[in-house]
Amino acid sequence: MAKSNNAIAGAVERTLAEVTASIENNIFAEEMTHKPGMLQGLDPRAKILMFLALLLAISLSRSLPVLLGLYIFSLLLAWLSQVPLGFFIKRVWLFMPFFTGIIAIPALFSFITPGNPLLVLWSNPLLVITDRGVMTAAFLLLRVGASVSMGILLVLTTPWNALLKALSVLRVPKVFILTLGMTYRYIYLLLHTANDMFLARKSRIVGRMDSAGERRWIAASMGGLLSRSFDLSNDVYLAMLSRGYRGEARVAHTFAFTTRDWLWTAVALAVAVVAIYLGR
Amino acid sequence: MTGMQRETLFEIEQVVFSYDQKNLALNGVSLEIFAGERLAILGSNGSGKSTLLKLMDGLYFAQQGEIRYRGTRLTSELLNQENFAFGFRRAVSLVFQDSDVQLFSPSVWDEVAFAPLQLDLAPAEVEARVAEALGGLNITTLRDRAPHRLSGGEKKKVAIASVLSLRPEIWLLDEPTAGLDPRSQSWLIDFIQERWRQGNTIVTATHDLDVLDDIADRVIVFNEMHRVEAMGTVAEILSDEELLVRCNLAHRHRHYHFDDVVHEHHHLHQGEHQHTHLE
Amino acid sequence: MYIQDTTQLMAMLHFQPMHIPDGYLSPLTCLIGYAVALFFWWRGSVALRSRLNQRMVPLLALMAAFSFVIMMFNVPLPGGTTGHAVGGTLAAIVLGPWAAMVSVSIALLIQALFFGDGGLLAYGINVMNMAVIIPFLGYFIYRTISGNSVLTSTRRVVAAFIAGYLALTISSLVAGTEFGLQPLLFHAADGTPLYAPFPLSLSIPAMVIPHMAVASIIEGLATALVVAYLQRANLPILELAGGQATDITALGLRQLVPMWIGMAILVILTPLGLLASGTAWGEWGQDELAQVLGTKAIPQGISQAFGGIAPLPDYSVPGLGEVPGYVMSAVVGVLLTAILILGVGYLLSRRAAPQKS
Repeated sequence: MAKSNNAIAGAVERTLAEVTASIENNIFAEEMTHKPGMLQGLDPRAKILMFLALLLAISLSRSLPVLLGLYIFSLLLAWLSQVPLGFFIKRVWLFMPFFTGIIAIPALFSFITPGNPLLVLWSNPLLVITDRGVMTAAFLLLRVGASVSMGILLVLTTPWNALLKALSVLRVPKVFILTLGMTYRYIYLLLHTANDMFLARKSRIVGRMDSAGERRWIAASMGGLLSRSFDLSNDVYLAMLSRGYRGEARVAHTFAFTTRDWLWTAVALAVAVVAIYLGR
Repeated sequence: MTGMQRETLFEIEQVVFSYDQKNLALNGVSLEIFAGERLAILGSNGSGKSTLLKLMDGLYFAQQGEIRYRGTRLTSELLNQENFAFGFRRAVSLVFQDSDVQLFSPSVWDEVAFAPLQLDLAPAEVEARVAEALGGLNITTLRDRAPHRLSGGEKKKVAIASVLSLRPEIWLLDEPTAGLDPRSQSWLIDFIQERWRQGNTIVTATHDLDVLDDIADRVIVFNEMHRVEAMGTVAEILSDEELLVRCNLAHRHRHYHFDDVVHEHHHLHQGEHQHTHLE
Repeated sequence: MYIQDTTQLMAMLHFQPMHIPDGYLSPLTCLIGYAVALFFWWRGSVALRSRLNQRMVPLLALMAAFSFVIMMFNVPLPGGTTGHAVGGTLAAIVLGPWAAMVSVSIALLIQALFFGDGGLLAYGINVMNMAVIIPFLGYFIYRTISGNSVLTSTRRVVAAFIAGYLALTISSLVAGTEFGLQPLLFHAADGTPLYAPFPLSLSIPAMVIPHMAVASIIEGLATALVVAYLQRANLPILELAGGQATDITALGLRQLVPMWIGMAILVILTPLGLLASGTAWGEWGQDELAQVLGTKAIPQGISQAFGGIAPLPDYSVPGLGEVPGYVMSAVVGVLLTAILILGVGYLLSRRAAPQKS
């Protein structure tokens, strides 16, 4: 009982840690978007097209070597963009598809994926790793890993604001782009508000709270945050109105498509098409 | 100043406003604002000065009484008219007290470009205006930064730049010096004086007696009943201690010094305190 | 230098199985997801434009930011477990289902880009599961149970719990179905699953049972407790949705009936699918497994693989007779789901249209 109480009482601290972690998250800091690498120098619209094509190729591939090739291509892009490879590989494989790893393990065995036995771990009850099981797990891991790599690479090399605005190349309406930009901006403010709420509580609390109390407190801070969000949305609306907003979203960008953008888009498209053809 | 009658920009007559029907924010407020003047609206927190600025900016509307802008009564219908709103929003601008409210865009550039974009200016003109506003405030280096990563002083500068790109004639500033470090404060005062010299009208809501002399010629004092208590020059208002204490703008407190002499002084936040010996 | 392991670990810990990453679902499934999502966005923007007009942008942005942030909150359960709430039902109770749909969609997009929580190709499916099903279903259940009770009544708190609980559970059921259909529909010529490998008989219980036992309780509790908090601390916010009630009730109750029926059909259909796959699975007794594996030792056995998953009629494995039927029923199931959702959306849009004019 005491043990579980401790676990419960940790919820606030864990939330605090996560909230802080996300504030300090290195993607938020956009360190790598300012390096003079290849992808950093491209028009974000070109990058969106490139990465969509590559993601599609990864998604469509029915061949493991092709998937591996696409993954290696992502490493090449990372290298050209001065993203430290160690960091990149670690970030993708150590953390992102961690969950996928757990999911892939049962697929190795005959009770999920029947096939030729490769390795008999246990005979009674029968626990056998099959060839097709290995293939299945490899498909899942490689596909998830390659997809996540591409996604991370796009985000690592593109400032957030540019990425959101570049969505217009996919015909995303301006009103959504305006809303997205505003969401992104206020997430940070609300995270800080939440962080302050947790810190204020932490500084006051001496003993540990019971589960119900803690739950009520979490709910109260959610409710408090909701109220704050509402008030903010009202004030922000006034601030927009004051500067001439008349209900029509206008978003401007200063992107310019250059030959280099065309070239790299063409390269990525070519890689994707070849991969789709080879991996069909 | 030239002897000519100055144009009256705002005529505020017996304005009543409340946010929730129960608590009044403005309780029959009347005043006039003239072109090219520097006016401070002095009042304690919650006295209604912030609300008055929002009414003058056409964000809220008087529930009783009226506000006339250059002779035209401000109403919600009028502000919904495209051509009136266009001219009004361009001329009158409000710098909010909380920069986090005013800075709602994902980057500084977008923030400063927001207002020119609403004017349907050509992309090149928008770019030029943003560059002019950022350059004018010496914050060109902040161009691509995210507003939430800026310091308080930088935020205030960006908030001002976001309005400056409209090239407004009338500035409504809500507690502009609140929460700023001394360097940012003195920058802000210089900026206000510069705008005024350029012929802009400056209306500042504040409870900061320290800066009054630098930003205003005329002062209107709100009391805690949400009404105008007094009007006058800066010198007149600052010398009326009773008024300031009555309106919760200065306080009187007693000091028990080591020598057992009790001092009472009014905090006017002006550096020098007037000490009164109480025997 | 860039990587702070604890930071990364935290980001990883908050992975939620409801956020489907890329690689689990076939491109076709993703495409269907986008079709559904696009449809709802389109209808949503029409519905919101007439209701919220200019205020839409800041309200949706702040609510999306709020959704994003509360998805990071850990809610403790009795017994020591903690978990995250999606908050879709809560958003719908406060904002109405359309605005909640857009807000949660935006929060999901930022999560996908930001944390890699959920894939970019799978984004449409994630929107369908979490931004469409949860708010609409949650809102409908909440309104139905609340009835005309006063805003401060306990009945609304109970309604919020049940709504949050059921909405997330059904959503997990749909996600489990999407996972489970992958090995049936998308596999290599030899039957090797190309995407998520688990059959419906595993994927559905694997998604639904943990949700019913933990995540949905968290969702329900969070929804109910926040509603209870707002009843005490900020009634105007609850009234805001209540204030819209006059026109939203029409939309909420009458127009959501087809959606509700659709969900009921889905719920009835899924156990049927479970049953069908269950029998196939049930056949894999230990003896048979060994037997099959024995036969598989023969080299060409790879292609003859296991009856349960073999796709093509060429491979006439004993007992295959039921398989094409099963695959067919699954295909029909997918089509039915898609048609259902699109149909419901169409009905909603037709009813919404006259209100606008």
